[in-house]
Amino acid sequence: MQVSFGERSFRVGIFTWAVIGVISYWILPWFALEYGLFDATMDEYWDTLGWKSHPVSMLTPVFLLLFIPIGWANWSREIQGRLLVSLALVATLLLAVDFIIPGRSMGLGTGVILIVLAALFSYGIARLGFLQGDIFISGAVTVVIFIILVFVFYPVLQIFYKVAVTKEGDFAPFQFFNIITSFGIGRVVLNTLLLAISVGVATTLLGLLFALYSVRATSPLRHLMRVFYILPIITPPFVVGMSLILLFGRAGILNDVLMYFFGSGGLFIPEGVEGIFERSGYIYGFRGIFLAQVLSLTPVSYMVIVGMLTAINPAMEEASLTMRGSRWITLKKVTLPLLAPGLANAFLLGVISSAADFGNPLVLGGEYDVLSTEIYFSIAGAQLDFAKAAALGILLLVLSLTIFLIQKKYLGKKSFVTVTGVQTAGNVTPLPARLQRYLSVFVCCWLLLIGILYVSIFLGGFVKQWGADYTLTFMHHKELWTNGFSSGGWPSFMNSLIFSFIAAPLTAILGILIAYILTRKRFVGHGVIDFGTVLIFAVPGTVTGIAYIMAFNTAPIELTGTAIILVITMIIRAMPVGIRGGMSALSQISPSLEEASLLQRAGSFKTLRSVLLPLLRSTIISSTAYSFIRSMTTVSAVIFLASAGTNVATTYILSRVESGDNGVAVAYGSVLILTMLAFTLLVQAVTGRSRIEKQM
Amino acid sequence: MSRNTSIQVTLKNISKHFGSVRVIDNLDIEFKAGTLTTLLGPSGCGKTTLLRLVSGLEPPTGGEIWFGEQDVSQFSATQRDVGMVFQSYALFPHMNVEKNVGYGLTVLKETKEKIRDAVSRVLETVNLEGFQKRYPDELSGGQQQRVAVARALVLEPKVLLFDEPLSNIDSKLRRSMRDDIRGLQQKTGITSIYVTHDQAEALSVSDEVVVMNDGAIEQQGTPRDLYQRPNSAFVANFIGDSNVVDAILVAEEEGSAIVLGETRIDLEKRKVENRPGKIKLSLRPEMFQLRETGDEKKHVMGTIAHSAYVGAVVEYFISTPVGELFTTAPVSEEQYAPGRKVFLHFHPDELIILPETRG
Ligand SMILES: Nc1ncnc2c1ncn2[C@@H]1O[C@H](COP(=O)(O)OP(=O)(O)OP(=O)(O)O)[C@@H](O)[C@H]1O
Ligand SMILES: [Mg+2]
Repeated sequence: MQVSFGERSFRVGIFTWAVIGVISYWILPWFALEYGLFDATMDEYWDTLGWKSHPVSMLTPVFLLLFIPIGWANWSREIQGRLLVSLALVATLLLAVDFIIPGRSMGLGTGVILIVLAALFSYGIARLGFLQGDIFISGAVTVVIFIILVFVFYPVLQIFYKVAVTKEGDFAPFQFFNIITSFGIGRVVLNTLLLAISVGVATTLLGLLFALYSVRATSPLRHLMRVFYILPIITPPFVVGMSLILLFGRAGILNDVLMYFFGSGGLFIPEGVEGIFERSGYIYGFRGIFLAQVLSLTPVSYMVIVGMLTAINPAMEEASLTMRGSRWITLKKVTLPLLAPGLANAFLLGVISSAADFGNPLVLGGEYDVLSTEIYFSIAGAQLDFAKAAALGILLLVLSLTIFLIQKKYLGKKSFVTVTGVQTAGNVTPLPARLQRYLSVFVCCWLLLIGILYVSIFLGGFVKQWGADYTLTFMHHKELWTNGFSSGGWPSFMNSLIFSFIAAPLTAILGILIAYILTRKRFVGHGVIDFGTVLIFAVPGTVTGIAYIMAFNTAPIELTGTAIILVITMIIRAMPVGIRGGMSALSQISPSLEEASLLQRAGSFKTLRSVLLPLLRSTIISSTAYSFIRSMTTVSAVIFLASAGTNVATTYILSRVESGDNGVAVAYGSVLILTMLAFTLLVQAVTGRSRIEKQM
Repeated sequence: MSRNTSIQVTLKNISKHFGSVRVIDNLDIEFKAGTLTTLLGPSGCGKTTLLRLVSGLEPPTGGEIWFGEQDVSQFSATQRDVGMVFQSYALFPHMNVEKNVGYGLTVLKETKEKIRDAVSRVLETVNLEGFQKRYPDELSGGQQQRVAVARALVLEPKVLLFDEPLSNIDSKLRRSMRDDIRGLQQKTGITSIYVTHDQAEALSVSDEVVVMNDGAIEQQGTPRDLYQRPNSAFVANFIGDSNVVDAILVAEEEGSAIVLGETRIDLEKRKVENRPGKIKLSLRPEMFQLRETGDEKKHVMGTIAHSAYVGAVVEYFISTPVGELFTTAPVSEEQYAPGRKVFLHFHPDELIILPETRG
C-alpha cells in the first residue's frame, strides 16, 4: 500500500527522535558534571555516562526503541496516539523518579532525552487530533508548556515550598506567618507600599504634564522630550541612583555648592554664625530612592499617557470648544476624563515598577528597607535565611500579581498591547497659554537635571576621587580596560555581551511563538500558557532571582553557577518584550493569510516560515535588539545567580559600588550606557524607523 | 483543466459550538457533485462557519464531513484538498502574483518550469496574463480578486469555497465578475460552495441555493424552486420581495378555494397539500396588475398609501383589508396618486401557498 506523505513524515519523525535519544544516551553525560561540561577531564566525563556508572539507566535506550515500531504498526491513529503519549509520560516520570529519589542532578544527555520525550509526546497528541493534528504547533505548545512548567511554575512553587519547611527540612506550616509577623517586617512592607504609592502618584502626575506638553504644546522644546524614549531603555536601573549620589551624596557636587554658599563659613553666612546647611547623608533613604525612581520611571508613565492622549479623537475636544468651553474647561471636563484609564494604568505601572525595583534601593537605601532589598540581604552574605527570603518574596509577588491582575481586568488589554508613541498631526487642541508657559519652565528644569545627572556619570569616571579630588584622570578606565582581557571590566563585559547575544534571539522567537499560540490557537492547556504569561509579566526580578536560586541549586536540576541559568534568566526577564512585540505585530496580520497558506497544502511550519516570518521580520529584529538591551542592563534577578565565573556587567558594577569604588563603577556604567546608545542608534539606522522606542 | 471526477460534499449531523454558543446544530446537507451551491442568509446565521467546517479550518464539534466516498472529518485543512477565495482575498503581501499563485505548487515541491507554466495557464483562465511580477498592492480590487481565484484553482482542488468574494467590489464590476466565476466553475466542474449576501448574485450564479437562518437550513433548491415555491415566509421574504399574508383555505366538492379578506379565489384543479383552515400566502409584488376597476369578490381592493418613483418602475404601498401590500408597476402604465382606490388583479396560479409551519 502506498504511504502518504504525512504518514511517512510521521514515521521518519518518530524514528529520528528516538535515535537522537539513544545516541545521546550513549555519548552524553547522564549525571551533571561537578564543575561543568567544559572543565571536566576525560575521566570525569566518562564517569557520568549513564551506562558506565548507572546500570539501571540502560533501560532508557530500550524504552526509546519501543517508540519506533509504533510508527509502522498498522494501528488506528487513536491507538498510536495513546501509546505515544503514555509511553512518553511514563518515561518522563521514571526519569524524574530516578533523579529525585537519590537526589542527583541531571546531565546534558538527560536533558536531550527529555526533549526527545517531549517531541514524541507531541507526535502522540497530534495523532490524537490535538490542534487539528498539527505536529509542528503541537510540538511548539509542548515546548512552551514545558518551559513554563520548569522555569516559571516550578521556581515559584519552590518559594512556597521553602517557606513551609524549616532549615532542617521539617514541615512548618506556620513559618510564613511567624516570619511576616516578626519584628521589622511590617515596617518593610509599609516602607515598600509608601514608596510605591508615592512614586506611582508622582510619576503619573509628571507623566501627564510631560505628555500634555509633548503632544499639545506649541513650543519647539517638546521635541527634546524624545530623550524620554531612549534614556530609560539604555540606562541600567541603578545608574540613576548612583548619579544621585554623585550630585547629592555626602561628597555630592551640589552639596559642595550649597556648602560654599550656606555652610559654616560660607559665602552668605556671616562670620561666627552656624551655617544653615550641613553635609549629611540626607539622600540615603526614602528621599533618594523616591527621587531616583521618579526620575527613572516617569518616562514609562509618560509613554503610557502619550499613547492615550494621541488616541483621543480631536473631534471630541473640538466639539467642546465649539460649545464655548474654554481651553481650560475642555482640558478639565473632556480631556482628563478621557485619559482616566491611561492615568490609572500609569499609576499602577509606577507602583509595580517601584515595588519591583531593586537597584536603586540597594544603592540609595541606607536605613530605609524595602521588600526587594530585604529579600536580597536575607540570603546575601552569611545570613542565608531562605525561609525569610521566600516569605518576603511571596509578599512581593502577591503585591505585584494583584496590581497586575487589577490592571489586566479593569484596564483591558492595555498591559499587553503596545502603547505606541506615535504622534499624529491634526487639529489637536493646544494647551492654555499660561499652563504652557509654566510647563516650559518646568520641563527645562527637568531636562537640565537629567542632563546634569548624565554628565556627572560620564565625568565621574574621569576624576580621581569625586568630592575630594577632582583631578582629571584615566585611572578608573585604565583599571577596567587595560589590564588584559582576564581582569578588570572585560570578563564581566564579555559575559554580558555573550549571554545577551545568545538570549536575545531566543527571547524574540519564543516571545513571538507564545504570542502566536495565545492569540491564534485554542486548545486544552491554553490556560496554562496564559497563566504562565501572566506570571512572566508580573513576577518581579528579585523574586525570580530567589526562586531560581531555590529551584536550581539542588537536584534534579542543578544549574546555579552555570552560564545557562543566566541566559535562561535573561530570556525570562526579557520575555515580556518579546511577547508584547509579537502580539502587536500579529494583530496587524490577518489570520486569513495563514489560512490561505494552509489551504494551499502548506503545513504550519511552512506557513510560519514562508508567510509569517517574512511579515514579522522587522518585529523580530526590534524584539531581538530590545531583548539584547534588556539583558545587558538587567540586574535584579541575575544578581542572585551570577557567580565568580559568570559575573555580568551590572553585577560587577554593583559589587564595586558595594566595596566603595564609586569611580570605577561610574566609569564602567558610562561605558555601558554608551555601548547601549551606540547599539540602539545602529539598530534604528538598520530598521529605518524607531520601532525599538515604540516597543517599550 | 476540466475534470470528470467531481465529488459530492456531504455534511452529516454536523454541529459547531463556540463555548455555549451553538452556531450550527445537527445539520445535514449535500452539495451535489460538480455544481455551484450558494449559501444565503442573514448576517451571523453561520454561513462562514459552515464554509470553514468544509475547508477544515474549523474543526466540527460533532458530525461527519464526506468528500465523495471519503470521510474527511479527521483531515486538517492542509490535507483536505479544497481551494478557498477569502472575502479579503488574503493574498500574501510580500509575494508577487506569480509567487502567490504558485505558492501551493512550491509546497508540493514542483519544478520551477512546471510552476511557471501552471501559473501562466491559470492566470490565463482568469484573464490576468502578464501580471506575474506585480505585487498585490499594485493591483486593483478586481484584479486581486482574480489572483485569489487563480490561487484557489491552481492545485485543482476537489472543492472550491468562496466567502463573499465580490463584496469588496463595486456593483458594476461585480456583475461581470460573477459571470466569470460562474463560467470558470462550469468549465472546471469543481464542486463549489459560494457564500453571499446578495440574492441577485445568488440566483444568477448558482445551480442550487441554500437559505440558512440561525444555523439551520430553511430550504435548499434551484433558484427557480426557491423563488416559485418557497416553503416558508422566511424564504419568501429572503428570495426576492414578497407580501406574506394570512388567508383561509376552504375545501369544497368542486375544488379548494382561498378566502383572502373579502376576496374568494377558486383554485380549480390546483393541488394543495395544506389542510383546510388558516394558511399563509406569499404574494410577489410583480404578480399584481393595478386597475381602476374590478370585482371586489375576485380582486383585492385597496387605497394607495404612498408611492415612490425608483427609475424603471414605481413602487406602490397599498392599504387593503389583508394588510399593506407592496407592488410595482412599469412607469409606462397609468400613475395612481395616494388616496386613489384601486383593484389588484392577479392570476390564481401565481399565488404561493406556504406549507404549514413545521414542528
Ligand atoms: N470564533 C468564534 N467564537 C464565538 N462565536 C463565533 C466565532 N465565530 C463565529 N461565531 C458566531 O457564530 C455565528 C455565525 O458566524 P458566521 O461568521 O458563520 O456568520 P455569517 O453567516 O458568515 O455572517 P456574515 O454574513 O455577517 O458574514 C455568529 O453569531 C458569530 O458571532
Ligand atoms: Mg461571513
